Amino acid sequence: MNERQRRDFEAGLSQEVDAWLRGDYSRREFITKFGKLTGMLALSGTALSPLTSLALAQAAVDLADPSTPLGAAQAAAMAASTEGPADGSAFRAVEAAKQHSGAMLNMTYEVGLQALDPRNFSGPLWEQLTGIQSNVVELPLPDVYAKAVAEHIAGSGAYDVLDILPAWLPSLADGGVIAPLDDYIAQYMNTADLDDYHPLYKALPTYKGKTWGFFDDGDMFALYYRRDVFEDPALMEAYQTQFGKPLEVPKTWEDYAQVAQFITDQLAPNVYGAAHFRKAGSPGNQFDFMQQYRANGGVLFDDAMKAQLASDAGVRTLTNMVAANTASMPGNNELDAVAVWAAWLQGKVAMIYSWPPTGRMTAGYSQSDKAINFVPQSTIADKVGYAVVPGNPQHAAGFHKALAADSANPEAAYLFMQWACSPPVSLARCMLPYALRDPYRISHFKSELYGQLFPTANEYLANLNASANVGLLDIIMPGSQDYYLSLDRMCTDVWAGADPMTALQTAAAEWDTTTERLGVESQKAFYQEFLKLPGATADNTIEKLGMAVTL
Amino acid sequence: MTVSANASGVAPKLVPPRRLSWSEWSDRHFKWLLAAPATLLIVALSIFPLLFSLWVVFVNYDFQVPGHAFKGLGNFEEVISDPVARWSLVVTAILTTGSVFVEFVLGLALALAMMKTFRGRGVIMSLVIIPLFISPVIVGQAWALLLQRPFGPTNYILSQIVGYDVTVSWLTQTPWNFLALIVADAWQWTPFMFVILLAGLTAIPPNLYEAAELDGVDGWQAFWSITVPLLAPMMLLAITLRTLDALKLFDIIFIMTGGGPGTTTYSASYYLYTVGFTQFHLSMATAGSWIFLVLTAIVITFLVRRLLKPAAA
Repeated sequence: MNERQRRDFEAGLSQEVDAWLRGDYSRREFITKFGKLTGMLALSGTALSPLTSLALAQAAVDLADPSTPLGAAQAAAMAASTEGPADGSAFRAVEAAKQHSGAMLNMTYEVGLQALDPRNFSGPLWEQLTGIQSNVVELPLPDVYAKAVAEHIAGSGAYDVLDILPAWLPSLADGGVIAPLDDYIAQYMNTADLDDYHPLYKALPTYKGKTWGFFDDGDMFALYYRRDVFEDPALMEAYQTQFGKPLEVPKTWEDYAQVAQFITDQLAPNVYGAAHFRKAGSPGNQFDFMQQYRANGGVLFDDAMKAQLASDAGVRTLTNMVAANTASMPGNNELDAVAVWAAWLQGKVAMIYSWPPTGRMTAGYSQSDKAINFVPQSTIADKVGYAVVPGNPQHAAGFHKALAADSANPEAAYLFMQWACSPPVSLARCMLPYALRDPYRISHFKSELYGQLFPTANEYLANLNASANVGLLDIIMPGSQDYYLSLDRMCTDVWAGADPMTALQTAAAEWDTTTERLGVESQKAFYQEFLKLPGATADNTIEKLGMAVTL
Repeated sequence: MTVSANASGVAPKLVPPRRLSWSEWSDRHFKWLLAAPATLLIVALSIFPLLFSLWVVFVNYDFQVPGHAFKGLGNFEEVISDPVARWSLVVTAILTTGSVFVEFVLGLALALAMMKTFRGRGVIMSLVIIPLFISPVIVGQAWALLLQRPFGPTNYILSQIVGYDVTVSWLTQTPWNFLALIVADAWQWTPFMFVILLAGLTAIPPNLYEAAELDGVDGWQAFWSITVPLLAPMMLLAITLRTLDALKLFDIIFIMTGGGPGTTTYSASYYLYTVGFTQFHLSMATAGSWIFLVLTAIVITFLVRRLLKPAAA
């Protein structure tokens, strides 16, 4: 009970007691009224208060100071939503959505930081603009898939907007869990916005000739390195002497392991050459294996859909990954993504490759928000350079916004998706310090406002764009989680000392079991669809297809 | 309608049934009304899922495959032929045996120590049982932080003690990862053994020890001849309850090792979780659950029979 509640209660009780003493009530009436009074108070304190707080939390838009780049981006998003241009997707979405004022959209998000944007920014702002409320349903990542399917089977209509991994799209589309957006796009969207997607991401939500969502998170791996280490004259000279070539940011995985080992040998225990998220389920092993395996010419399946992991490319990949592990900081094989960030930000490591939030954390921008205070403050903000991961970087996971097929408000749900992913609004969302949504539009990579977020933001954006130009996609087909789980098991087995070829054979056998369980012919068809996507193999990257984006 | 007959065998006279009043009806059926909520809950939350699972094990219930084609015993075959499933049973046996053994020994030692009165005994007993009230997930996280390289302090402390650099990977190196899991589980559940065994010890009449002392029996003999036989039912009860729980070990594996490296620390529960909720093969996970239930039932039935034997005697 807070002070105000206590005062109200005492005043009310005093009135009731006085009335009873005056003989205005019978004893029964007094007890009844007293019960109601205390009951309401208890209700207001225990049940209503959290609901009120939640409602207020959803209703308050968390806006930055307009003089900051983030504040300016948010103001621009607001202007695009309310003032136009009239043919802009954001404006058109808001205008059309007003007819659905009062509706409630249930939106799934991965639990934790991913949900802060719709809770603090886009959800409340959308409500302010359109009167459509949002209910953010936070779920562990596997449940985002499983619950969407389960609710679809039950026909409950529990969700309107689904935040899904691109790898899930074919199963969800074929299963009728999500609905195609083409008719809505034709009716409401300024289709020029589709051309603003980086080409790697543009085709991702398409499947069997239809569009099934809006891509919404550019999860591209990139290499982050310590310039002060790589430009140290003593180290440069020692490296030249030892290897007969200059010390530079590695461009092959063999060089990567060699440079990491050299730095560890020279600077440990103060600085180690590298660190990786290698813990089982960290997640990371499968992404890292996939990017190196394919860069080494590895093939996933043959024409009969037999797994091809147990190959020279597989052995070469695992052998090199083990060499990189050996060159890394102690406990490398027990690290998860957050632990790697902690080591990196504390200056213990000379190179890491990871997701794009790494750049914003390195600059100290993310930590300006208390939601990210579990990550240490950066001690290396002005010492870091950006590079493309050797070979081809992995686009590791990412998110689409998809329309639940059973939504009771499909149009309102679609319009929210169009608005949230429109260029000005998505830019403001990607710039949130606590956001885990990473740049994916060409306009994001070119954004002057984003470029002002921290001193090296333009280099950071240019590197993400360059990485996407040569980036590789996750496997996008049913069973992707099975295939990836096998890779994670295989890698951690090898880290613990298993023979690489034996581990590769075990993983290949598991892949074959998965393929057979899901149907060889069916999986073959899905795989062929996947291979059509730019970035599916190292031979059809955006750059090799002649579609590279230059800023 | 009821029928009444007289003693002379005259044709029975039909008596129209009397309508029950509401109060009579409620008096007669009140017991059913009281039992109804619990029965409905059990039917909804236990019986229905159980019957539903009997259907699921014979079809293909997979979130990635549309429809539910009949598979017969195919799901059982998939589990049995899966080497990871077989290994998970071995892991479950190792972890259950190891953790229950450690917990029993430590719990018994603690209980024996706490039978003596000494200053601070109450405080120590309160402190000892605190882990029981902590969520297993938190316990797993705490131990992971303590053991994880390079940030956990364990290796540093051990290095200071032994005088050379300790570089054990507690969470990713076998057998240390098994040891780490057993230590974390024992830390949480030793107090459970302690509480039950302490209750058993306090129930042993002290005059038996006094008589033994008068007969010149030393402490060790008294322990084997008085304490162990009289405490045996409680020991078996504690071991049975802990075994039942340890067979389901999941939380600390999920947090500390993630089942790795590879599938080295997959317990049966962790395996079933992975198949069901990471890979979405619900039929296979359900079939595995039934197999695991049967195996668990065999172990527990054996223990319960042993438990009931002394009571019957």
